[in-house]
Amino acid sequence: MSTVNVSQILEAIENANLVADVTALDLDKPLRDQGIDSLDFSGVLFNVEEAFGIEIPDDDIDGIQTINQIVTYVNAKV
Amino acid sequence: MVAITHVGTYLPEKKVSNLEFLEKFETDESFIRNKIGVVSRARKEKEEKASDLCIKAYENLNSKTQIQVADIECCVVVTQNPDFNIPHTSAIVHGAIGLPETCACFDISLGCSGYVYGLSVISAFMQANGMSKGLLFTADPYSDIIDENDKNTALIFGDGATVTLLEQNQPGLVPLGFDFGSKGKGYKNLINEEKLFMNGRAVFNFTAATVPISVNKLLDKLDLTKEDIDRWYLHQGSKYIVDTISNRLGLDQEKVVFDMYEYGNTVSSSIPLLLSKDIETIKTGQKIGLSGFGVGLSWASMVLQKMNS
Repeated sequence: MSTVNVSQILEAIENANLVADVTALDLDKPLRDQGIDSLDFSGVLFNVEEAFGIEIPDDDIDGIQTINQIVTYVNAKV
Repeated sequence: MVAITHVGTYLPEKKVSNLEFLEKFETDESFIRNKIGVVSRARKEKEEKASDLCIKAYENLNSKTQIQVADIECCVVVTQNPDFNIPHTSAIVHGAIGLPETCACFDISLGCSGYVYGLSVISAFMQANGMSKGLLFTADPYSDIIDENDKNTALIFGDGATVTLLEQNQPGLVPLGFDFGSKGKGYKNLINEEKLFMNGRAVFNFTAATVPISVNKLLDKLDLTKEDIDRWYLHQGSKYIVDTISNRLGLDQEKVVFDMYEYGNTVSSSIPLLLSKDIETIKTGQKIGLSGFGVGLSWASMVLQKMNS
């Protein structure tokens, strides 16, 4: 059963103060292609880790580049 | 009580522009200015050592306030890039500036948290031993250990040095309290073996999670609020990290000092470099917050208050 949804991930991204309107983000496009640079992406991952009490190892990062990938990943971890 | 009365500094005139490396590191000027916050890196001459930088900072201090070397009773150097493993760099500085044989000398091995740790150590040491005047140096010439091809570190660090004069019962900045901590299990995330290695994400996570807790804990201990602090001097790791910490703490951005664009991250010298520019403008009764964090992984926060004596 899914426990984390897209809006919760968007809220975590919003808390990183990176983009003016998180709802404008394409859920299936890599965040790095939507104006979020490497440092901002570290900020996104930190906020997701903090919000859901999980740890994201460096080796997993290549597989969680889009919002939908992050949702799936977090649900598998929580 | 022991107070900070003057701060001398040295930044090499030679600069390396990060804008010349945009293509090499596949980055752009906006990222350099707005995220890293370092446009140029101050670069010492290759043959210059930590002690040489300290001596130049001392000359600057001497131009601001006439130092009587015979009055200096302790000399402490914060560095992790000493001239030699043996002896301690403070001994070399002692000899070079002609401090008296009665002057105590020792080094402190810490990185970006070193200035705050150093202030606690030297003020307690002076207090315990009834000393009237002491010098706290910071100098960590990272250009000796940087891999110029490593994007994670090559665009960040600059060379520099500072010296803080501490005096008993003089008007100046007096420590009100400290908070310290370490996460030794993370030491490999910022380490110099053959060259400096930094796991940027791990260091960012450590800093973003730990520093706000340290600052809030210290304020609670001192029964102060963020609004009671007139200016914040956070270690200038990068613009991104200073922005992240100040956002997470909910600080008034106008109170957060940021200035590393023209010289870079100077490790333990970053906070006293900022302080040297502002020290004359801090009014009696005003309080300032400092926090250093990095190598170790280590952190230290403190509050200082300007007092008349």
